[in-house]
Amino acid sequence: MTCRKAKKLMPLYAGDDLRPRLRAAVRAHIDACLSCRKELGEYRQALTRLKAAAKAESVPDWSEGEWRTLAARFQPENPAKRRPAFLARPRWAAASVLGAFLGLAALTMLFKDGNLRPRETPTAGEPSVVSLTLVSQETGLQVVWFLDKNFEWKGDEN
Amino acid sequence: MRMNETEKELVEMVLSGRTEAFEPLVTPYRQPLLALAYRLTRNREEALEVAQEALLRAFRSLARYDVSRSFRNWLFQIAANEARDRFRKRTREKAALENAARHEPPYSAPEDGRARQEIRSEILQCLAVLSPREREVFVLRDLEELEIKETARALGCSSISVRVNLSSARRKLREAIRDNFPHLKEGR
Repeated sequence: MTCRKAKKLMPLYAGDDLRPRLRAAVRAHIDACLSCRKELGEYRQALTRLKAAAKAESVPDWSEGEWRTLAARFQPENPAKRRPAFLARPRWAAASVLGAFLGLAALTMLFKDGNLRPRETPTAGEPSVVSLTLVSQETGLQVVWFLDKNFEWKGDEN
Repeated sequence: MRMNETEKELVEMVLSGRTEAFEPLVTPYRQPLLALAYRLTRNREEALEVAQEALLRAFRSLARYDVSRSFRNWLFQIAANEARDRFRKRTREKAALENAARHEPPYSAPEDGRARQEIRSEILQCLAVLSPREREVFVLRDLEELEIKETARALGCSSISVRVNLSSARRKLREAIRDNFPHLKEGR
């Protein structure tokens, strides 16, 4: 291993954060290189000093009032009273399900009990086209189908 | 560090509806959590808000907590996410304000004055040389002593990303100490 490579890996080696294979390679280099050993000493010293300074540092703590105010907010919402999974879904999902349900209900009402009956349209002679008209007795909606008797399927032209 | 039996019992109690068990569950971590938030935000008031929000989020999401993980690390993860969200929001607001200020006469921002008055500890001055991501990684790995994997999990990134940022953070800190805080280097 070269000094350049060792110095690149030094910050991680100093904190023992290298994988075993790389660690062994860096260690072997450092054992033989005074300059890298010196740099490693600087890294380790910096880390030790920073950790010590962090431990000695006066960090803020909660005042009892702040803590009590926060603790009071742990009460109202009970995580145990979790909503059922289907209610936890996004609102758009619930709205879609509701819409589909209403649509199905409307269609059922529309077509129930054979309200829509096919009716053959009277034609003269030998008609080549037969039409079927479906009429809803409740809403008056009409759907007309024209069926050509002479139609022959010639397959897909493409 | 895995969750101990007492913590497991407290989690079960909270999930079964006894919400009063949440306070004893988090009390051991209230100070470490605030300290972490303080090191990430470098501001006491903001740290308090981050820690509060983290605890409330933890309370609301306790049902999703994986008991095979360390509870402390889970809390730290939530706090780190919260601090990051706030940092991003602040950056956006700052950019918007600066944009607006271009069209107005210059004035002395109160935040600048406050910042000058704030006496920052030396450790925080050192951390100021780091980017937000480097600071998160350094604080979690070196100051809070989370494993690389746990740090990655807490920050939602890969172990490789943690190593890259950690390496960069340590290099910058070593240089900062050498150049600006020699007394830290000499241990005075």
